Amino acid sequence: MFPTPIAKTSRTWQLTYQTLLPVAMVLWLLPLLAVMWFSIKPGADFTTGNYWGRPSSFEGFANYFLVFTGSDMPRYLWNSVMITVPTVAGAVALSCMTGFALGVYRFKGNLLIFFMFVAGNFVPFQILMVPVRDLTLDMGLYDTRIGLVLFHIAFQTGFCTLFMRNFIRALPRELIEAARVEGVSEWRIFWYVVLPLMRPAIAALAVLIFTFIWNDYFWAVVLTQSPESQPVTAGITSFNAQYRAMYHLMSAGSIVAAIPPVAMFFAMQKHFIAGLTLGAVK
Amino acid sequence: MRSIFTTGAAALAAATILSGSAFAESHAALSGDLVIFSDMSNPAPRAVMEGMVERFGEMHPDLNIELTIIDREAYKTQIRNFLQANPPDVANWYAGNRMLPYVEAGLFTDISDLWEEGGLTETLASTQASMTIGDGIYGVPYTYYQWGVYYREDIFEELGLEAPETWDEEIANCQAIIDSGRFCYTIGTKFLWTAGGWFDYLNMRTNGYDFHMALTNGEIPWTDDRVRATFANWQQLIDMGAFLENHQTYSWQEALPFMVNGEAAAYLMGNFAVAPMREAGLTDDQIGFYQFPQIDPSIEMAEDAPTDTFHIPSGANNVEAARAFLLFVTSAENQTLINGGDGLGQLPVNSQSSVDDDEFLNAGFEMLSQNSPGGIAQFFDRDAPAEMAQVAMQGFQTFMVDPSSLDSVLDRLEQARQRFY
Repeated sequence: MFPTPIAKTSRTWQLTYQTLLPVAMVLWLLPLLAVMWFSIKPGADFTTGNYWGRPSSFEGFANYFLVFTGSDMPRYLWNSVMITVPTVAGAVALSCMTGFALGVYRFKGNLLIFFMFVAGNFVPFQILMVPVRDLTLDMGLYDTRIGLVLFHIAFQTGFCTLFMRNFIRALPRELIEAARVEGVSEWRIFWYVVLPLMRPAIAALAVLIFTFIWNDYFWAVVLTQSPESQPVTAGITSFNAQYRAMYHLMSAGSIVAAIPPVAMFFAMQKHFIAGLTLGAVK
Repeated sequence: MRSIFTTGAAALAAATILSGSAFAESHAALSGDLVIFSDMSNPAPRAVMEGMVERFGEMHPDLNIELTIIDREAYKTQIRNFLQANPPDVANWYAGNRMLPYVEAGLFTDISDLWEEGGLTETLASTQASMTIGDGIYGVPYTYYQWGVYYREDIFEELGLEAPETWDEEIANCQAIIDSGRFCYTIGTKFLWTAGGWFDYLNMRTNGYDFHMALTNGEIPWTDDRVRATFANWQQLIDMGAFLENHQTYSWQEALPFMVNGEAAAYLMGNFAVAPMREAGLTDDQIGFYQFPQIDPSIEMAEDAPTDTFHIPSGANNVEAARAFLLFVTSAENQTLINGGDGLGQLPVNSQSSVDDDEFLNAGFEMLSQNSPGGIAQFFDRDAPAEMAQVAMQGFQTFMVDPSSLDSVLDRLEQARQRFY
């Protein structure tokens, strides 16, 4: 078996592993630890040059309290929810249907349409920046949450369709054919036969898309600019005021913004890993 | 809030009655739409802008005000487009050469008659020059802040030094500070603009405001001997070891600790530096402010004071309402209100406004309204075109790190000048 389980290796190798693992982990987490450390420091520490030393006073509660009460952070968090949840629902719903259509029916151009969905994933989204921004501006959707939601749904559906179509392909075809023989309408086959079987895929995809969209920074900056519509990832930059950066509040804000996807990951760990490996082995 | 608003309205009404019946008539009947594009997108300025619109709207209930706030950086590129394609009635911008391209393209309206009628030529005298291009005045300012030297008063006292007024005093002071094991000046040039501030002051003190404006306007070669004189003064300080070591690795904020911890004695900076210094525990007794010292006594003192402005695009539809809004913005009451500590925390442009009770704001207000006869510059990266400013400030940094590179730096700047203007 590869890799050999650590328990079966020699003692020296086990010791090396046991000492190197924490070192690698700390190294890996260092930026995150620094952000956590900064988030409990008073702002003055950054002006006195005390970056890494003991905080001159413990301001953890004050900073986090200020993030929630003294800034637009609650609003940004709410925007993130109002952008992420509809996007997840929309992209998953659409891709269930496209996946069903492409996975079950044989028609001319099936493969072509499928390839177009896949190809969309290979378009670097940076080159879409200007046209998409102009489009939302012309449609009156610039700087609105709905504009961001619509774009995310459109862009994520490509990946979701690939995922769903392959999942549906792997379902036993006999189930669908049996239902057809019984005279069940196609719509009811989708709703009562296929959809229940897709539950694990839906859960995995929902978790995956949730983290994608919550962590999106690029489109948040391109398509929105006011506290009425910006999600939390972009909103954090408001601690970077016109003249100076509030490092301590920015750090506290970042931690707060990172909590939902991390919590999501731990709560739905099973689905998350299933989502990443689904279809990897048949 | 309410009482300030009513007095403001009353004063504005009085001012308009004084300024002639024709204007008063149009003022009374403001209606239709007033479209405002603003770049005041950071939280505090945004609240100020929204507050102004709200108060102006209360004064003119028949007027429908549409305010669009655009991200401050994005605005800089969008303005080129919207002034031509989709002009608002009022737009934010900056004073000085920064508005020159739009004035030359005929996109901003000359409002010198409004300045005359509204008495702005008196109340806004300190910024009139920076709003003037040729014979026209192309907008109104709404806020500005001073630059100058912020220094550690306690260190100066310890060494028996006084704030310098001449270059000789400056050099003597600096030598004493260096002898005590400190740097005279902290500076972080990682993002370049801080070096631009030093060049502004040295050049304005060595060659004067008009020369500085001509230079940033591309009319004078960078290889000119007068420019070299400016750099010679700069080099004098660099060779002494006046500036913080490795300054190219710090941002302006990261250079602050050296002053706070007493390793450097002073900082040439804008007034926004005071807030973090206070937060870091320096008291107002420890922080002092002085005007950048004189170098050539025959040259009038001029200052950097970046000024933010409102303009009426030439494509504006509701000019009457736009003019009334500009008068409202610059009125003494509104100026006092929006530049106060819970607003922008900067200097009001109207000389009849009151300044927040703050040592440094008061010092700056006095300096700019009384002790800057040469003129008010906007800061290097606003006075010079963006491409030129980028190359030039890069050159300043190179020069500060290695003064022997002066010739190649000036050659590069001169090439850039020929390319960009």
